[in-house]
Amino acid sequence: MTSRTRLPAVFLAPPLLILAVLAFVPTAYAIYISFRNRELSRPDGSFVGLANYIDLFSDRRFVNAIGVSLTWELVTVTLTLLVAIVLGILMFEFASARQRAVLTLIFLVPVILPRVSAAFVWKFAFHPLYGIVTYPYKAITGQPLDLLSNPATALMTVALVDVWQWGLFFGVIVLKLLETLPPQPFEAARLDHARPWEVYLYVALPMLKAPLISLTFIKMIESLRAFDLIYVMTRGGPGIVTETLDMYAFSQGFIESGRISYASSMAVLMMVATTVIFTVIWKRVKP
Amino acid sequence: MTSVKTLVSSIAYACLLASSVSSVALAAECSGTIRVLAQPRDGLTLLESHKDEFAKLSGGASFEIDYLNENDRRAKTKADASTIGKYNVYYIDEANVALFASAGWVAPLMDYYPAEYDYADFDPGRQKVATYDGKVWFAPLTGGGDLLVYRKDLLEAAGVKPPTTLDEMKEAVKKLHQPDKGIYGIALRGQRGSGANVWRWMPYFKGFGGEWFDGNEPKFNSEAAVKATETYLELFKYSAPGTQTGGWDESVGAFTSGQVAMLVESTPLVGMAIDPKSSQVAGKVGYLPPPTPLTGGGYGHGLAIGTKANADDASKACAGLFIAWATSKENEQRRLEANQFSELNRTSIMTSDTFAKLYGPDLGQALADTGKVTAVNFWQSPLWPDLGDRWGIILEELIAGSRTDIKDGLNELEGFAKELVARSQ
Repeated sequence: MTSRTRLPAVFLAPPLLILAVLAFVPTAYAIYISFRNRELSRPDGSFVGLANYIDLFSDRRFVNAIGVSLTWELVTVTLTLLVAIVLGILMFEFASARQRAVLTLIFLVPVILPRVSAAFVWKFAFHPLYGIVTYPYKAITGQPLDLLSNPATALMTVALVDVWQWGLFFGVIVLKLLETLPPQPFEAARLDHARPWEVYLYVALPMLKAPLISLTFIKMIESLRAFDLIYVMTRGGPGIVTETLDMYAFSQGFIESGRISYASSMAVLMMVATTVIFTVIWKRVKP
Repeated sequence: MTSVKTLVSSIAYACLLASSVSSVALAAECSGTIRVLAQPRDGLTLLESHKDEFAKLSGGASFEIDYLNENDRRAKTKADASTIGKYNVYYIDEANVALFASAGWVAPLMDYYPAEYDYADFDPGRQKVATYDGKVWFAPLTGGGDLLVYRKDLLEAAGVKPPTTLDEMKEAVKKLHQPDKGIYGIALRGQRGSGANVWRWMPYFKGFGGEWFDGNEPKFNSEAAVKATETYLELFKYSAPGTQTGGWDESVGAFTSGQVAMLVESTPLVGMAIDPKSSQVAGKVGYLPPPTPLTGGGYGHGLAIGTKANADDASKACAGLFIAWATSKENEQRRLEANQFSELNRTSIMTSDTFAKLYGPDLGQALADTGKVTAVNFWQSPLWPDLGDRWGIILEELIAGSRTDIKDGLNELEGFAKELVARSQ
């Protein structure tokens, strides 16, 4: 009996140990060095208490990065979900089984592309002189359209690429979810003369509440890791208008200063903030 | 007398024997793979097709080069050198040589550079930027100063004389700017970075008499910096689309694709602009030294010996041998024959008959003339990349229009510089 109860522990212990080492060692080290003034070029460093954390709040780039990160989360998550729901419903409503299969295949391609490759492709597509996206504007108006260099449009342009990658993929998931729903509630609503949009808004979507919330959380976590996309397309520019928290932390740690303690304090704050925010949202909206 | 001669010859024989023993030892020890972290250079790609030659020379060693673009290469070399030290040889440059040397991430090159490879043959300007604190740290792969490169056909058609002063250049740029015909007056660099927008801004700053520091006291927040920034921003009105957040690639791409009338850029641009394989304007290009009072941005990139991955003297010597071979006269001759203009660094090669035959006397003259105005524009300090990158961000904000007050930007940089110096002490 004892051996039966111990067996799962025997199998679970090694992977759990590896996971613990992989997850906790870097986290603990990041917390430790965030209280020091370690820089890459100087192996020494001393304990500085909360100095790094205090400095952060008088750093205009950090304050700006918080705003950019929040805007990025809000825009990419909302637009991705919106595009996914609209696309999923349109395919479910109007496409035949064969058309759905073809569209599904096409819509899966963007998310399969490595993020860096997608970013490069779109960066060239948005180029004001040679870009395929900006070409029609240039042909009609005679003026170049430089979306990535304009502070007003740069973040939204990068967000568009993120939504292109994930919105189409989530659209396929929404379609597959709609296909799993029983047809009776739809028929009942139609018998009650509900219009098509009312069928989806009041019947289908409420039935899909739980998976849609899960998709939202997946996208929220994924959006936090948009570093590669932004790094390739704008490097945080023009100026600092697309500089998210992870971009700024990396910049401070490795590109500009080598201030890894300062960068770590940002990472620790991000970790605490996301854990708290995600827990609160999760508890509030739990289906 | 005879005994003295005998003593001298004995010492000479002993030295010879010692050196041959050490080279045998060296050859025997260079057997692994020398890992190199670099940025893409045609010369390095060419080098990879001669791996056998290095294996024979080193007694069996091979080499592997990983490539990253300039900004990423800078970030990765810094991260690698300060942590795990996976690479035996780093590609470093004028902007970070002081940082790498003072942090002990690279070894003094001349301690491990075989004398027969003749380091003194490198262009004196490039030797100067490879030197920090009295020691040489890298062997150059590329370098030079600036040239004003212009489209002869466009200037002739508009009746504009090639400009020799900044005022003439500004006039010419305005006159030649015809966006409706797809021609832009100039191409500048807007992308953030000490080696990007700041690099192109510095000739104006230094040309107007600007200075970075006096000891530890910042001096750059001056009239010269304001005037330099105003001039740079004014010229940006005529800069090709895409350059507002672009770097070298965007500026050069716009020029070689025939959309830019003139630009002041680093000398390798000429090699690309006159090569029909990489340029649509080959045969229509003229070059001059930068217009007065602009100084040329003296720079140099090259290979240095990493200290972490080469823990003992023997591995440092292997890395030194690789660097010496990679930058040798023989390999540079191959680059010349492959028409890799921007990869030439040795005086013996640049004054050779083959060079004159390939590039003509005009280019040789322009290079000689620009050498006279080439200067070290940046602050030669380990803190430079940090300060330069911060100014790069503020300058990018000014170019993009998300910030408009130049003086406010300079004040912010001054505050940052004081903090930076205090932190380093």
